[in-house]
Parts: sequence; structure tokens; C-alpha cells
Amino acid sequence: MKGFLTRVTAITVKEAAHILRDPRVMIFALVLPVLLLLLFGYAISFDVDHIPLVVVDQDQTNASRNLVESFTSGDLFEIKARRSTVDQVEPLFRSGLARAALVIPEEFTRRLAGGREPSVQLLLDGSDNNTATVALGYAGVVALEVSRRQMPTSLSREGAPISAQIRTFFNPGLRSSAFIVPGLTAVILTMIATMLTALTVSREIEQGSMEQLFTTPVSRLEIVVGKVCPYFLLGLVAVLLVLTAGVAMFSVPVAGSLWLLFGVSALFLLAMFIQGLFISVATRRQALASQLAFITTMLPALLLSGFVFPIDNMPWPLQFLARALPPSYFIHAIRAVLLRGNGVEAILRDSLAILLFFGVFLLLTVRRFRRALN
Amino acid sequence: MNASRTDPDPTADGGQTAHVVDLRGVCHSFSGTPAVTDLDLQLESGELYGLVGPDGAGKSTAIRMLTGLLAPDRGEGWVCGHSIRRPSRALRQAIGYMPQQYSLYGDLSIDENLDFFGHLFGLPRQQRRERKSRLLSITRLEPFRSRRACDLSGGMYKKLALSCALLHQPRLLVLDEPTNGVDPVSRRELWDLLYEFVDEGMAVLLSSPYMDEAARCHRVGLLDRGRLLAEGEPTRLIERFVHRTFLLRITGRHQVEDLIGAQPGVLALSPEGGDIRAVVRQPEAAGFRQWATSHAFTVRIEPVAPTFEDVFLGLLKDPAAIEERGGA
Repeated sequence: MKGFLTRVTAITVKEAAHILRDPRVMIFALVLPVLLLLLFGYAISFDVDHIPLVVVDQDQTNASRNLVESFTSGDLFEIKARRSTVDQVEPLFRSGLARAALVIPEEFTRRLAGGREPSVQLLLDGSDNNTATVALGYAGVVALEVSRRQMPTSLSREGAPISAQIRTFFNPGLRSSAFIVPGLTAVILTMIATMLTALTVSREIEQGSMEQLFTTPVSRLEIVVGKVCPYFLLGLVAVLLVLTAGVAMFSVPVAGSLWLLFGVSALFLLAMFIQGLFISVATRRQALASQLAFITTMLPALLLSGFVFPIDNMPWPLQFLARALPPSYFIHAIRAVLLRGNGVEAILRDSLAILLFFGVFLLLTVRRFRRALN
Repeated sequence: MNASRTDPDPTADGGQTAHVVDLRGVCHSFSGTPAVTDLDLQLESGELYGLVGPDGAGKSTAIRMLTGLLAPDRGEGWVCGHSIRRPSRALRQAIGYMPQQYSLYGDLSIDENLDFFGHLFGLPRQQRRERKSRLLSITRLEPFRSRRACDLSGGMYKKLALSCALLHQPRLLVLDEPTNGVDPVSRRELWDLLYEFVDEGMAVLLSSPYMDEAARCHRVGLLDRGRLLAEGEPTRLIERFVHRTFLLRITGRHQVEDLIGAQPGVLALSPEGGDIRAVVRQPEAAGFRQWATSHAFTVRIEPVAPTFEDVFLGLLKDPAAIEERGGA
């Protein structure tokens, strides 16, 4: 046991020296994750606001102006132009200057006063369906609100429509950053961790030092463990940086225990490092290893992790694949702790799944390593 | 995990084999192409053995099998009684290996590289320090101990690699083309170092494509296309060489070299200064000499004593070029 520790420590110290002396590794491990988080965090947003709006007010009364005011009081719509006829709207849509148009017909005030159903028209650019859907929903809410205000009080007493009092838990503003940042953290850690270790063994094989290493009493397991250790420490610092940046820059709520979050992140890092080492041992070439590491992490972490697309809606082969890979469990766990404030019991299943992946790949790596020179 | 794990091999230390290295009929082929065929090799402690042969002769493959890096397809071998088929920790402790190519960590200093291998071989702190400072002083690397390996000259690098292989005081030191890319002065130093350790009882096996180096070994094995053509002390091999060597001085060397090479019995031609050495089959030697004297381009032809290189070149063409002698 003492020999085991001595040899693992020797590999760890050596590997740490490689890391500390190569500024590229430090930048890759510590600067890049935060940079990616900021970049993607600001770029990827499902929040829709400031939809460019054309107003066609053919009524030109106080009531119509109030209606326009109701539409634009929030951040959702922003008036870009005013036109007098509906025909003038389409060119604006075509040129992309506007994505929505509010058309208030001439008889709006008269119908309102006369108690006949007043109607307004909302024209939407459907080419961006996400924006259109949000605009549609918002317009419905505004119209309902306005009509309730306008309705004679007598009427509203008796036959007022049922109003749903909606309250959203865990992310009251339904801001997508609270949803995206945890997912993004998982994607970034997956990629960085795997790429970091994917090069370590293939580099030594290419440089020739592995041959010398294999003639010393060090075992394959000792090499693997010794190589993971310093990267693990580096990875923990990266996790800390990314989480801090996520919480600080995107005001992601931290509902649960930070220690728990850190713990599950550490476990996930181990799984990703061992995946990288496996790639390194299996490919034995740095160029191939880095490409493979990129492909096998970026795509699953983005598409098969539940980060963007819910796993339950996927066809079953993809569901199977998604559930075989750790990012799906990590994203589930990180959201559970960060947003819902869940405790250990809620993420136990996720943790065990990640641990299982780690164990299987540790075994595969050591087995595969054995034939490295033949 | 147990460093004192004993090898199940009945011939382990103190058993019937006293040889440091004992290879019996070892073979290895790479996807059908034989690299080493039926290699038998024995090496005693205090012996310096040179495995010589042209590039691709199988020297590195033989060495990799010996060091447990490559499992033989057939045959068996032991180093200090430990099987090379299932390389144990004890086998690795017994061997110090210096690969042909760059194998240390360029971004680590001399000190750090030595410490790294010292730890892997489980040397206690005090022992590590003592051996390190001894090696650093005899290799004269002491003043550069904090210099990174990638900033060392070829000769200094080799000395460091040698020190890393020697740190755990192996019973067998294996060097794959140790003087490759080393200047003559450093080469001389490396040889002096080797003799020092051999005198202390270490067994050394090295490979080399250079015949002058082979001649410095106690015993050499001539390897060609995976087979050991001949083996023995360099001087004995020269004595047992059956063919003749001539030194020719000729005019217009470029025009007539091919012509000379095509003469019956000519095994090899090699340049020596402005002259040519010709290794000629013994039965055809007299005829060759006559033929050469009869031509105007020959300024002079005289028989000379064969060198080790002549013997090797002759052997490549004629495996029977060494006279079999009982007990040699």
C-alpha cells in the first residue's frame, strides 16, 4: 500500500508540474470555462423581449392610444414604426424591421362604447416561431386585461371570466438564464474535463516516455489514478469559478446547498476525466484523441443531456443513449440542487449513475492500457 | 501492490539459472512479419554484451521483449530468474532501461526527472539522495541539475537518461542505441561510465549499429533479419573469420567500384579514406587479387587483417563466414 501511494504521488507530482508549466493548460482549464459561460450565457437565451412592433392605429382615439400603451408598457414589444394602412405592414415584415403588427380598426371606440365586441388584429412573423408564440400569448393576456378594465362593472360582477392565478415555483420570473446557466455549466465541464485528460496518455505515448514508464514498477492503475489527481484539483477550481461566475453574472438563484453542488460536480468531473483518459489510451494519438474528445462530449452534452431538449420527448434509441451518459444525470442534479433546493436524496440516483459510469470506464481504461505497447 | 511479491517461476533467483539474462528460442512477429526469430541469449553479471545489426534487424524488438514491454510469440526468457512473459514488479526492479528515443520529461529538470524515477522504484529518501549526487557527480551534470531536460545537449541528455536508468542499481542495464546522436567526446564519456558500472558487476546489454562500438563489448551478437548470425568475443570472431580482406588503391573509383563489386567472391566493399576495403570469399581470394593486379586502374592491392566491420559485412552475405570451433 505504501508503494502504491509513493508511485501514485510520484505520477501526480510529475503531472502537476506539466500542468503548472504549460500556460495553455491553465488557460484551457481556468479561463476558457468562464469565457465560454459568459459567451454562451449571453448569447443563448430563450427570453423574448423588445419584439419590433408596427402600430396601425386607424381609430386615433384615447381608447386606442390606451390600448397601444398597454401593449408596450412591458419590455415585450417595442414600437418601431407607425403606419396608416394594413398594406404597409408586409414590406416591414419582409425587410425584418418588424416582427409583429397591432392593427386597431376605425370603429374600435364606437364598438367598445356600443357594447359590441371590439376587435383588434395582431399580425405576426411566423418564421421565428418562438418569438411568435411568446408574442401571441402575451397579446392574449393584454387583450383580456384591457377588456376587463373597459367592461361595465355590472357585467363583471355576475359573469366575470375565471381568472387563473398563476404562480411559478423555483424560477418565478421564468428567466431562461436560471435554466440555461446550470445546463451550460454541465456542457462546459464535460468538454473541458474530457479534453484535458484526453491528451495526457497519448502525449506520453507519442513522446516516448510511456515506454520508459512501462519498464518501471508502476502499474497501469497507478498511472491512471496519478494522472487524474492533479486534474481533479484543477477541475474543482474550474467548477468553483464557473459556478461563481454563473451565480454572479446571471443571478442564478442558489436554493440548495453549495457543498452538495460542489460534491456532485466533483463526482461528475471524475467521470469526465476518466472518459478522457479512456479516449487517450484507446486512440494513442493526440490529434485523434482531441477530436474524439470534442465529438463525444460536445454533442451529447448539448443535445442528449436534457440541456435544451427534454429527454422524455426523444425517440427511444436517443433516450437510451442520453441515459447512458453522465451529462443528463449531472444536469438533472445541478438543476435540482441549484433551483429547487433539493437535498441529497433527490440526487442520489443521479450520483449513483455517474459513479457507475466512472467505475466502468476506470476498469475499461486500465484493461485497455495493458496492451498499449503491443 | 506488494513490492516484495515473489515470482512463481521455479528458476527465480538462486534457482537453476545463474544467468542474468536467459532467452530461449524467443520469437516475435509483427502482423506476420517476423522481427525476431529463435533468439537464444545468455548474459552474466559483469558482462558487457553488444547486440549489433543493421536498422530493422530486430534489435529494438529483442530489447523490448527482454524488458517485458513486448510479449514473445514463442519461446521463454528470464531476467534474474523472472519470466519476461508475465513481467512482474521484481523483473522491472531488476532492469534499468534507456530507450533509443527521447523518453524523459522535457519540462522537468534533471533533478525532478531523477526524483521521479527514484520514487517509482521505491528508493528511500536518503538512498535516493546519495545515489543521485553520486550519479550527478560522475556524469558531471551536477552544475545543471535545475536545467530542464529539453534544454540539454544530446550528450547531456543521454547521460541523464543513463542516470535515470541506473538510479535503482539494476542488475541488468539495457540500452537501445545509447550513442545515437551523441558527439564523439560524449560518446567516449558514456563508454567510460558503462565500464565503471560493468566493473562493479552490473550486466549491460546494448544495441548499436556501429561496429567500432561493438568491438568494445566483451561479447557481441550479430543480428540480421531477426536471426543471430554469430556470437562471441569480437577478437575471437575476427580470428574465426574464414574470408579475406584486401585494401585497394585505385584510380577513377566511381567508374570501377561497381565492376569490382560484381567480381565473383566479392562479399562487401567499404570505403576507407581514399581506398576501398574488399571482403572476398576465401576460395576466390587468389583469383580476385590476380584480376585486380591485371587491371590498370589498380594502383596497389594488399591483403589486410579483417576488422570487426569486415566480419560483420561478410556475415551478412555468408552466414557460414565464421569457422565453427568447439568450445569457442
